[in-house]
Amino acid sequence: MNVPIRMLGIATSIFWIMLIAFVALAAYSVKDLKFDFGEPQFATNPDGQFVFSLPLYIDNRGYYSLKDFHLSTVFSDAEGAEISRDNTFVPVIPYGENTTILHNVTLSLNSLLENGEQYLFNDNNLNVSVTAGLNFAELLPAQISTNFTFPWGAPFYNFALGEPLFGRSSSTQGAVTVPMSFENHAVFDLVGNIRIELYDSGDSLLGESQTLFNVPQGSSYDGSVAFQVPLNTASLSTAQSGHFNIYFDVGFFEYGPLVIPYG
Amino acid sequence: MAEQQKKNKNIVKDISFRVVKATVKAILVYLIYFLLAPMLEPLFGLIPGFMESIEVFVAVYIALMILSDLTAKTVFQYFFNTAQALFFVGYLLLSMGNGVFNVSYENFSLTVNLTLFYTVTVLLSLIGFARTILQAINFMHEKAEASSNLQL
Repeated sequence: MNVPIRMLGIATSIFWIMLIAFVALAAYSVKDLKFDFGEPQFATNPDGQFVFSLPLYIDNRGYYSLKDFHLSTVFSDAEGAEISRDNTFVPVIPYGENTTILHNVTLSLNSLLENGEQYLFNDNNLNVSVTAGLNFAELLPAQISTNFTFPWGAPFYNFALGEPLFGRSSSTQGAVTVPMSFENHAVFDLVGNIRIELYDSGDSLLGESQTLFNVPQGSSYDGSVAFQVPLNTASLSTAQSGHFNIYFDVGFFEYGPLVIPYG
Repeated sequence: MAEQQKKNKNIVKDISFRVVKATVKAILVYLIYFLLAPMLEPLFGLIPGFMESIEVFVAVYIALMILSDLTAKTVFQYFFNTAQALFFVGYLLLSMGNGVFNVSYENFSLTVNLTLFYTVTVLLSLIGFARTILQAINFMHEKAEASSNLQL
């Protein structure tokens, strides 16, 4: 019985040495593992999507490869409703190598607007949940997660139309001028047009106008919109009050009508 | 008389040998811990109190090892060996729970799944436990055989 016991002892000792060596090297490798983030890039694409690109540099100077690296970003609104979800997966980050991963997060402005027009006109905070995970040394799956808020700047912050100013342009046509202002708080330049329909109190369309704008990020717009309206006694009496229907078209997203009453 | 002196001399020699063996083994185990601890620090340092609990574990483990070496060639050696193996399994079960560690720092949360490592370690320590039981049985068997031979 002595021989089997001795063999059992030798075998377990070998396994223990292997296990201890593995754990020590794995733990030591963590020290030589460096993660770094690059400068985030913001861009918009023609599909109405706002793309946020984050370069991630991983310098794996440890003794083991990193497997199944995944990075997931979820944007949600204040109520917790999911707006966008993006994943980046890298099967292997070999040891002794420097790997650059570009994590793209797409935020669809159309889907943002589906959640409410406040994202167009009011600054907001979006909740961002980031989860990164990997399989270290093929034996130790690890995951790190964090939550933070992403400040969302409204492209048409404080959008306002003033009271219409009525004037006469000919014997049958009147000219209506409406002051318009907003601030572009978004992280992108705003180029597009705004179409405004002027309705009287009887819901009849009095006139329509379009205005082009080019507002760089962080700047404000102050202008006016001019309408030609038919001039008669009936229209003058009903045009003292009514509403505007406003349609926004910025190329990568469209929104409307926004109804603003006047009078 | 001379035979008695020789026997006493042998006992002193045997005890001295056991003490030296226990000391050398304890120093070696502590040296391994001393060398490995800084390597384990980056990973296990993230878990609050884990490195301190490893220190306590090493202290108890070395104490049981010394006792086992001092009581060599007696049945108590196997008692201490079994206690050592059981202490190891118990420590793993208590310190590692289900094998998933979750550490939170500010708004970051780190989860490390050590289940596979934990399973291998528990299996190896259970083999160690089985081995000590076999050794104890073998010791009692040899002792019984020796006494029966003497009676004959």
